[in-house]
Amino acid sequence: MAAIVSCCPATSKYSACAVFHRSCRQLASGNRKLYCKTLLNKAPRAMLACTIVNHRQHVGLQKLSALAGITHSSLGPNKMYKFIRDETSGESALACSCFRLLENLELTCGVGQLVYETVRAHQKVYGAGSGCLLFLAGAWSRAATECLQKGVPVARIISAMSEGMDVCLDVCRKCSVSTESLGAAPAESCAATSQGLGLNLLKKNTAEASQASCHLRGTRQAADKTLNASGRRKIKLSRHFYETEAEDASTATQPPRRKAPDVALVAAGLSHGYVGAMNLVIEASRLQSKNNPQDVSGSTFDVSKVATCVLPGLPEENSCVLQGCVVHVSDEQASVAHHLKEQHLKVALINGDLSDTYRHLGFKRLQAVQCVSDRVHFLSSSKAEEWTEKVLTLLLNLEVNLVVVSGIASEKVIQRCCRLHILVVEKANVSVLKALADATGAVPVTYATQLSNRCVGAGVKVAIWGDLAGRQTKPSTAVSVSTGERDGLVTAVLASCVPSKLQALEDQFWACAYRLHHALTDAVLLPGAGVTEMLCVHHLRERAERRHDAGRSGGGVQQTKAGRAANPYRGLVMNLMAEGLVDYISTVMVNAGGVSKVRARTAVSQRLKNHAENQAKFSQLSFAGEQEDGSLRCSDAPAAQVYDGMSVKQEAWRRALDLVLLVLQTDAEIITGVGPNHDAAEGDMMLL
Amino acid sequence: MAMSINKRLSWRQSVEKVMSRLVQKSPSLCTDLPLDNSDICTKLYLLRQLLKSCFGPTGRLKQVHNNIGGHVITTSSSSVLLPAISSSQSFINLIKTSILNHVSRFSDCGLFAAILCLSLIEQAKQSGLSFSVAIKLNKHLLGLCTGYLQQEDCGCKVKLDFCSSHNLITLARSIISSKPACVLTESEALHISKLAVHAFLLTVPCNRPGEVRLGKAVTVSVEGHPVLNSAVFPGLLVDAPDVSGIDESENMRSNPLRVVLFSASLAGDLSELGDGIFDVHPGVDTDLQILDRLLELVKQVVEDEVKLFVCQKVIHPVVQQHLKSRGVIVIERLGNPLMETLTQLTGAQPVATLHTTIPAKAYGEVRDLSIIHFGSRTMLQLHPPGESSICTMILCHRNETMLGELKVAFQKTEHVLRLTLREPSALLGGGCTETHLAAYVRHKSIQEVPETLSALGCSQAELLLGAGGFCRSLESVAAALEHDGGNSLMDLTHAHHWTHPADVMREHLDESLGFCGCGLMEGSPEQRRAYLNTNYPQFSPAPLSRDTAVQPRVLDSFAAKFNALQVAVETANLALDVRYLVQDIN
Repeated sequence: MAAIVSCCPATSKYSACAVFHRSCRQLASGNRKLYCKTLLNKAPRAMLACTIVNHRQHVGLQKLSALAGITHSSLGPNKMYKFIRDETSGESALACSCFRLLENLELTCGVGQLVYETVRAHQKVYGAGSGCLLFLAGAWSRAATECLQKGVPVARIISAMSEGMDVCLDVCRKCSVSTESLGAAPAESCAATSQGLGLNLLKKNTAEASQASCHLRGTRQAADKTLNASGRRKIKLSRHFYETEAEDASTATQPPRRKAPDVALVAAGLSHGYVGAMNLVIEASRLQSKNNPQDVSGSTFDVSKVATCVLPGLPEENSCVLQGCVVHVSDEQASVAHHLKEQHLKVALINGDLSDTYRHLGFKRLQAVQCVSDRVHFLSSSKAEEWTEKVLTLLLNLEVNLVVVSGIASEKVIQRCCRLHILVVEKANVSVLKALADATGAVPVTYATQLSNRCVGAGVKVAIWGDLAGRQTKPSTAVSVSTGERDGLVTAVLASCVPSKLQALEDQFWACAYRLHHALTDAVLLPGAGVTEMLCVHHLRERAERRHDAGRSGGGVQQTKAGRAANPYRGLVMNLMAEGLVDYISTVMVNAGGVSKVRARTAVSQRLKNHAENQAKFSQLSFAGEQEDGSLRCSDAPAAQVYDGMSVKQEAWRRALDLVLLVLQTDAEIITGVGPNHDAAEGDMMLL
Repeated sequence: MAMSINKRLSWRQSVEKVMSRLVQKSPSLCTDLPLDNSDICTKLYLLRQLLKSCFGPTGRLKQVHNNIGGHVITTSSSSVLLPAISSSQSFINLIKTSILNHVSRFSDCGLFAAILCLSLIEQAKQSGLSFSVAIKLNKHLLGLCTGYLQQEDCGCKVKLDFCSSHNLITLARSIISSKPACVLTESEALHISKLAVHAFLLTVPCNRPGEVRLGKAVTVSVEGHPVLNSAVFPGLLVDAPDVSGIDESENMRSNPLRVVLFSASLAGDLSELGDGIFDVHPGVDTDLQILDRLLELVKQVVEDEVKLFVCQKVIHPVVQQHLKSRGVIVIERLGNPLMETLTQLTGAQPVATLHTTIPAKAYGEVRDLSIIHFGSRTMLQLHPPGESSICTMILCHRNETMLGELKVAFQKTEHVLRLTLREPSALLGGGCTETHLAAYVRHKSIQEVPETLSALGCSQAELLLGAGGFCRSLESVAAALEHDGGNSLMDLTHAHHWTHPADVMREHLDESLGFCGCGLMEGSPEQRRAYLNTNYPQFSPAPLSRDTAVQPRVLDSFAAKFNALQVAVETANLALDVRYLVQDIN
């Protein structure tokens, strides 16, 4: 039997507050209950503050907005950790990013599932930007709700929001900076400018125009050589040149050969507050490009050849990046490794488990097998023995010293191998196996019995991590497997005294790694710290001002009936979208420290106003905190220019809008498998 | 094989069944006159509202999931929605099954049929006619409609011209843009429509004498790429995650390549024996024995110079290694859906057992193969030895939900385009066909009063009542296209469908009335229009003078709508005919 829950324009009279509680109950209806206790009285307040009590509410959009509210604090450079406690089992989890938070909640409602699915897909490809995605989904769902309350038809909201997205993506394309041009502009001047402007921003900024021109002077020498992207940016931001010149510049200045970007500089701009993690990433990239003769320039960064190894118990300063693949081994294996170090080893790669009972994927075991015999046999125990003997003989014959296994190896085999000075390394990543296979000529096999001369590779070295780190305290438990120059494998060893923090450290490392990877692949960056968003706000508002001239050109005469005539609500919708972005910028500022929401908003709108008046260039907002006495804190090191990844940001925005549009168009939930005696507690549930 | 496998039936279960306590059966539940039952009526109304809200390009979406938080599907298409709806009332399920049957045969117009059917039932109830008379009248009026639609000079029919792809693309785009859950922009929808027509044309063989067999368009979906990256490839694309061993130059040399196709599992297990208890002699290693058999089979295959080895299921890694070392390309886990296509492409016969030698005629051929990288996926493109009538469509979208719906929409489109080969015409879309038919039926039923009355055996008042209900049902389907509170109208000359958006101010009114639903007519101030479902004067809808410069912008499949109309009326008649519902509630 199916039940239908209507989502849109619900005729219920719940206040916004009640709806929030309802969606919380929805969220809590899984096994694991969610309690979102606010340790700092910050973000969730804003969520409860949507004050509309109206008959035109859309429960789905409100759920989306409520869900987004949970992750407000995971935006920006300073992220707040969140505890998630399971009341039934007493377990708790520490979540430090939007994705981890969602992962630990069991979202059973339709919108929740949709959100999780979207965020997971984004995280899988980009490794970062989930917080931005969810925040904007929330902000724009509030915008859509407001439109509905003002009586704007759904089709109009969709067409105007899609147009708004086009405006934003266009702004991104036009204000992007190529990675190679970063090194050309003197970094110090950038830093000084942004620092200075940051200070100005929070006092009442006045000298902005002069600062901006100073910035411009700084980059001009570079622009003389090639009209690089940062040079381009200066022209574009003037409204008079915007539409035409920028187009020309972007097509004309495609350099014939890509210069190598300064990886360290790019990375520093992308660190977003995680300087430690980013330093590891820079080191990893340096090691990788050093090993790759084709790519001395370091213009790419292959994330698939990067691994992480967590090391609980050691202080965080011990985190480092090593060549090859670092894995944990037992003491006994470590002694074998000690014996084997400095040698060129022969290696066998096993794609699966190293045990006699293991069968390949897709093999169906017989469920019930009985032995029928006229004599009594005691063979079952010796079967494993027989297999082990066979494998060991084979390994000895092939003179293999190292076996890398993607699954696990049986304890017995490991011990027997140790006695024969064969090192067995377990739980290696599939990408590690592949890299080793490519570098050594070994062929991964599923069963150890398949091994032959052809499958064995040569030229691998092992080293004990303790030795590498120059510490000879106690027998170390991590060894690195590497082919030296050839495989390009690097491992980031992440250490922490607090075991529960390791996950967060690992996430930070991967976020940075992915950001750098995508930035180098895109070869462009977006000005960060809110500049891109502010430009979008500016252009959205500008487009909203324009009357019905552009409306008709959009999309031919066909389309829906709504697209045909000029959209009378375009201005309203675009302004609300821009409002969502302003909310985003100010929330990031609030999270960055010290400033109150109101102050952040004032600063942003002041900045926007200045821009509209004298076309001054936007400069990066300062995220420096404010001291208690009201003066601003100045960090000793000059803050570097902040950048954002282009594809990550564009994709996050687009996915956020897709989410909003899908939920906006949804007016009912069909729940299958609901029995007739299901408690009809849900007021608007109808049974079919 | 040197082992004895006994399958022993476990009889314990049957004993338990006999021993279990007997519970007295409860008597069956009988519902008299189901359409007078208020519960059934509410549920019919609910179903109608639900389906109506999904209809058309601006329709609302539904989230479908189970009550324990399973995967969520967001959709508005009948082929996904209807299977998810199961009611406690068998009456609802009767209607649902009937519509689903139509959808499985024609793909399109499922919602049209469902809404029309439910409207007809409701109108018949409201009219106060006896159901037997209503049934008779519905049949008669359906006959009028189908007769008119089959006429050469039918005012709402467009001949499809295969010399130009224009109308085919319009037809494809009408279907794709009627699925809002795909979240496509105008240009994306056009791109997909063009690809759909391209794929369709690739499946039609050109110069094959004798009986023509249509090929197949296989869809492969890739998540996370922009829609505009979607593309059509001739031949069949199959996933090949590991192509490192394939040396292209070597394979190009011996053309065509011999292919063997296994439908039996080559995993080396005994899964096909089924459940039960097996008695095995100790010291017998069944796994090894099966593996030996597999290697023997492979030996034969290699001797027969097979270059491409494909298995529907899993292949034992040792077998794979053996084959690869001899230069054979191995594809495993092909999956059932692709088996038929591959059989058609290669001409091979799937081998279903490991225990005989493979006859020579079981082998097939491919002309050549190439490696295609698409995003993170690596695929092998197989070309048939003869003329290709198989193509592969790679569909891309940003997320899983929208990709799922896009795949459904694409498959529908492909099916509808195929239907045009049987009946090369299309109907005007955007509600124009419905309003046109309604006007025609209204006019005809009044004109033909004397003859029909005697044939039907009913009074004139009854006929007018029945025809009124029938026409209102058709019009309500057209009106269901509007979801944002706009008004639906029809003009009183050609009976096309027009909408007034609710939010347009008076001064913009004539501007907003630019075109009718299908885009053939342009609005003019002297046009007379009437709101749908009001008492407008009956008139004979004049066919438009065909100006070739103006092409319709929305087209519906003729075959699908023609059948949907019949299914809707017949299902409604069946529902009206039900006197008792008998339900076994044990």
